Amino acid sequence: MINLYNIHKTYKRGTETVRALQGIDLSIKKGEFISVTGQSGSGKTTLLHILGCMDQPTSGTVTIDGTRLENMPDARLVEIRREKLGFVFQQFYLVEGLSVYENVVLPLVFARKKKNKEEIFAALSLVGLEKRVSHRPDQLSGGEMQRVAIARALVNSPEIILADEPTGNLDSENSEIIFEILKTLHNKGITIVMVTHNNELASRADRIIRIKDGKICLS
Amino acid sequence: MAGRDEDYCSGGSDQLISFFTLALRNLGAHKTRSILTLVGISTSVAIFFSIVSFNRGFETGLFRELERTGIHFMVVPSGCPHEVASLVLHGAVIPKYLDIDVLEKLKDFEGIELASPLFVAQVPNSVKHRIDLVYGMDMTHVKKLKPDWAITGKIPSTDREVLVGKEIADHDVLEVGSMIHYPERSMTLRVSGIVERTGSQDDAFIYMPIALLQEILDKPDGITAIGARVFDPLQLNEISEKLAAVVPGIQIVTMGQILSSLTNLAASAKTLSLSIASIAVFVSAVGVMNTILMAVFERMQQIGMMRAIGASRFDIFRIIITETLLMTLAGGISGIVISIAGSQLLENLIRLIMPYVPSGKMIIFNPDLALICIVFSVVIGIVSGLYPAWKASKIQPIEAIRG
Repeated sequence: MINLYNIHKTYKRGTETVRALQGIDLSIKKGEFISVTGQSGSGKTTLLHILGCMDQPTSGTVTIDGTRLENMPDARLVEIRREKLGFVFQQFYLVEGLSVYENVVLPLVFARKKKNKEEIFAALSLVGLEKRVSHRPDQLSGGEMQRVAIARALVNSPEIILADEPTGNLDSENSEIIFEILKTLHNKGITIVMVTHNNELASRADRIIRIKDGKICLS
Repeated sequence: MAGRDEDYCSGGSDQLISFFTLALRNLGAHKTRSILTLVGISTSVAIFFSIVSFNRGFETGLFRELERTGIHFMVVPSGCPHEVASLVLHGAVIPKYLDIDVLEKLKDFEGIELASPLFVAQVPNSVKHRIDLVYGMDMTHVKKLKPDWAITGKIPSTDREVLVGKEIADHDVLEVGSMIHYPERSMTLRVSGIVERTGSQDDAFIYMPIALLQEILDKPDGITAIGARVFDPLQLNEISEKLAAVVPGIQIVTMGQILSSLTNLAASAKTLSLSIASIAVFVSAVGVMNTILMAVFERMQQIGMMRAIGASRFDIFRIIITETLLMTLAGGISGIVISIAGSQLLENLIRLIMPYVPSGKMIIFNPDLALICIVFSVVIGIVSGLYPAWKASKIQPIEAIRG
C-alpha cells in the first residue's frame, strides 16, 4: 500500500542542518496497525508527515498504491490526502467557531463530496459523540475533542489513518478510549499508523517501528 | 441540548456547511476583533458617504438658491466677485457705492427688462442693542427679485413701511402692523408684511424701500448693487459685454459667473473633504489588511490542519477573502446606516461652522450613492484581503502543524 525506499529528509533550523530521516525503508500493507515510537527528535513525526503527503523527502521514493509521490504537484497531493488519508493530531485542531458536526464534515466540504447524514452520524456514533453534535469545541473535554478529530478523519472514508501522538494530551482513561477507537477502525479494515511515546499502547499494535536518529532500529 | 441535536438528526438533506458559513463562524469566533474592524470600516464609509452626500446637496442647494434670485446679472462697483456672490446669496455688506448714473444708463440700455437698485447695509438699533441687517430695494420689484417669497401682509407701499424676515419677526415678536423704532433717527417704521420662512439668510433681514434706507443712512444716492434682468437670457453675455464697455467703474457679474465662482469655492472644499475621506478609507483598508493578516497568523495551525484534511490553496484563499468580503459588506451597510442616522447632527454642525450653506437639507439619502459606497467598501476590502489571503494559501500543512 505505502512503500518508502531509502528516504532521507534534511531541513534547516536556523544555521543548523537537521538530518531528520536517514535512509528509511518501510513497507506498510493494507489493514496493518503500526505504531511508530522513538525519542523526541528521532524523526517519527517527520516520517508521518511524509507518509501523509504533507512533506516531501529530500531523496528517496514514496509510493502510495503504486503511485510515486516525488515531484507531484500540490493539487495532486491534496487529492490524495482527500481520497486516501485521514489525520489525527495531538493538538486536535478543531475549528472553534464550528459545532462538533460542522467540524466533522469539514473534509467533505473541501472534497466537494456529499454524504447522507446516516454516514456522518455513523462516524460520530463510532466515537460516541452522536449526542454532542451541536456542541462547540470549548464545551468538550480533551478526550471528546480527540474523538471529534477521529470522526473528522473518518468521514471521508479513508484507507489510512495517520495519528500523530493522538493520546499525547490525554489522561490514561481517555488514551485508552482513543486507542480502542483506533483499534475498532483497524478491525473494520482501515490501515492505522500511530506515532506515540506511549510504549504500552505501542506494544498493542500489530507492528512496532522504533526510530532512532532518523533510522529504523526495530521493525 | 438534546433538542438541538435533534435538529441535526431531522430532515433528509445533507447538512454540509458552506465556505460562507465557515468564514462567518471564523469571524464570530473572534468577536471583539471583528467588531472593532467593523467599527473602523463603517466609520470610514459613513464619513465618505456623508461628505459625498453633503457635496451633492451643497451644489444642488446652490443652484436652487441662484434660481430663486430672479435676476440675470448684478452690477457692482469693481471688486471681488466673491463679494458679489455673497451679496446675491446672503446680502453681504459691500463697503463701496455705485454711481447713481449707472442705474439710469442701465434702465435705458437696449435689451434690459429690469434694473433694480439694491442697498445692503447695517443699521444700529439702539432699542434692541444690536445691528440690524437692512436690505433697501425698489418695493415694486420685490416679486421679480424674490419670486419665491411668501408674504403675510403686504409689500410696503409707503416710505415708512418695511418687510421683515421670519427670523426677525419671531425674535422681536413682530406682527403685521407692529412698529420698529430707530430713536436716533427719530423714525418709527410700520411692519407691513412678514416674509415667511425661506430657510436662507433672507429670514434675518429687514427689507425697506431703498429711499428710506438712504434717508436713514444719510446716503441720498447710495446703492451698492443693481440687480438686472434681460428680455432674452441668450443675449446675456452680449449685453453684459456691451454694458461693461460703455459704463466705466463697474463690474458685471452674471449668475453663471457667480455660480462658477461659488462652484470653484465648493470644489476646493470638496477636494479637501474628499481627501480627508480618502485618508479615512485608506486607514480603514490598512486596518482590514492588518486584522485579516493577524487572523491568518493566529490561525496558522488551523489553516495547516485544513490543508492536511484536504483544503486546497484556493480553498484557503477563498475562506480568507470571504471573511474580508463579509466584514467590508457589513461595514459598508452599517456605515450608510450610521451616516443616515447622524446626518441631521452633522448638518447642524456644518451649518454652525461654515459661513454659507444653502437652505434646505444638504445630506439626502441617495440609494445609488449608498450602493456605490457599499460596493466601493467591498472592493477596497477585497483588495486589502488579497495579500493576507495569498499569504494564507501559501501555508504548508507541515509548517503550520509543526508550529
